[in-house]
Amino acid sequence: MFKKLALLTVAVGLSFMVGCSLVSPAHSFAPTHPQALEQGRPTCTECHGTDRVASTQKTFASFNHTPAFIADHKFQANQDPNTCAACHATSFCADCHGGKTAMLPSTKLGDRPDRMSPHRGDYLTLHRIDGRVDPTSCYECHGRANNDKCTACHK
Amino acid sequence: MKHRIHLALLATLVTVPGWAQDLSVSTTTIAQRWTQDTNGFDKATYTPVTEFVGVDANGLAGNDALSVHVYGWGLRDLSDASSVAGRTNGDLTYAYMQYHFDQANAEIKGGRFTVNDGVRNEQVDGVEGRTDLRYGFSVSAFGGTPVLFKNLSNNPQADNSFQHDMIAGGRLGWHTAKLGEIGVSYLMDGSQAAYQYGPAMPVDYTRREVGTDLRLTPCSFITVTGRTVFDVAAHPQPAAGTDPSRIAEHDYKATAKLTETISLTGSFTERNYYAYYAGTTLPSLFNQNEQGMFKATGGSLVWGPAAKWQVVADVRRTERGIEGNSTRAGADLRYTDAEKHFLAGGGYHRVNAFEAASLGFLTPAYGLSHDEMRAWVMTQHGACSASLDAIRMFYADSGKNPNLNGQATETAVVGSLGYQAKSNLKLSGDLTVEDTPLYRKQTTGLVRVEYQFALAGKGGK
Repeated sequence: MFKKLALLTVAVGLSFMVGCSLVSPAHSFAPTHPQALEQGRPTCTECHGTDRVASTQKTFASFNHTPAFIADHKFQANQDPNTCAACHATSFCADCHGGKTAMLPSTKLGDRPDRMSPHRGDYLTLHRIDGRVDPTSCYECHGRANNDKCTACHK
Repeated sequence: MKHRIHLALLATLVTVPGWAQDLSVSTTTIAQRWTQDTNGFDKATYTPVTEFVGVDANGLAGNDALSVHVYGWGLRDLSDASSVAGRTNGDLTYAYMQYHFDQANAEIKGGRFTVNDGVRNEQVDGVEGRTDLRYGFSVSAFGGTPVLFKNLSNNPQADNSFQHDMIAGGRLGWHTAKLGEIGVSYLMDGSQAAYQYGPAMPVDYTRREVGTDLRLTPCSFITVTGRTVFDVAAHPQPAAGTDPSRIAEHDYKATAKLTETISLTGSFTERNYYAYYAGTTLPSLFNQNEQGMFKATGGSLVWGPAAKWQVVADVRRTERGIEGNSTRAGADLRYTDAEKHFLAGGGYHRVNAFEAASLGFLTPAYGLSHDEMRAWVMTQHGACSASLDAIRMFYADSGKNPNLNGQATETAVVGSLGYQAKSNLKLSGDLTVEDTPLYRKQTTGLVRVEYQFALAGKGGK
């Protein structure tokens, strides 16, 4: 019994030491952006030029908030959430991506027409068309969660 | 059990101000009122008041790396009518403690949080950790229980407990400066699949998914992003004569920056219903047994003719097998003058869609084609701000489409006025006027009060 315990302790200790030696020595990405940014979509290369992020070696150009970046920000967020967190509080994401939302994002952000907000206008009418054209588009947000209201009709 | 977790979180939250160096509390109160006049239903008035509260406490116990983040909302409808969500409602969206190391982007968090790591976005009560490793590798893992789960079968929720008792996953990534980053991730949700029950449950809510993701920059002006997700769960034998694909999704995009002001993007998406809908809690809508796939190809051209102007032209063709194909094409224009705090935009899109199949003699086949138009403006002068957002839709087949009640157009206009009373207090009001096929004429009033107890360094402006 004692032998097994000793072996287990040595194994855990060795694993911990090996694990620690594998950790990158690079500094973490800045937790907050040092300067306040102007209104509108930021172009990181205006200040950072062709620089790369030390930890991930990605160019700052890849974070420019272009229309393509905004439409597909999930790819960036799923690889490097730390970079998003430098400027955006988690509540910014929760405006649209809550597992259960109080109201349409476009209603909560009715004073921010500049933000890309899904389901503007009378989406209840349009969803009957969008749902037929692309039934998979609803799934990512409403397939597993946030579908209480869907069940009023789709039982 | 969940009530105990909530009480523990609340107790933690109450004590946070005492041991945080940097505390930010933000609240947004939104009061709305509208009278709904839906075809076929009695008129109903709604007056919901919703309170959103967020707390970010950094530098806990004198340690800059330790922080607590909480966000949730509660709603109460003050009128007699209750919407489908009920007269009272609420949710604790996230409440977690995080330790962020200043080396290797390493962090550990525990509590309620959203995982967005590789395969899917999941709301979890549990723990998560991540770190960068040497030689370009990174690793992350999480485990806990899913926050939201509600099956739609006639069985009590408890009968399905093994289908939502745990959720876990992780991602291994690797990057090089020359090429970019690739990753592989895994998700398991529920410890026991439906067919393992005795007797077997009619619907399987469990998931086992493997995902690969990439972001490649083979040269400075080309970026390729995308992911592929595989359904690797053990499902009951599919219907005889069918051999559904286990690839849930391919979703890829390539962007080429042709000049400083012009970039071109091409996209490709393919989703197989059997694998993509596996584990849904809404099988009546996301029917896993539906055969076939959805496919989309598209492209967009972004052009900045002048510093403050941006034009985006885009086209997307979608294919739904025997249902039919559709094409959405159009353009958006955007003007940004940051110095004068003036933003404006507009766009037009045409959707040429297939005809929805006839469901019988009384509902003939009807077209889904329509036109979408939008224009908006937003400005700020001193403490005052204003915005206007107008949407106009034209439906091509209102005569046959039973969902349009014979109305071919839809109009929605949202006007908003705001006043920044103090640096941490903003009042605003929205008025929405709609004339729609479903709600006829409807006017909605909204009052918004945003208050921040301390000014935080970030907030997602």
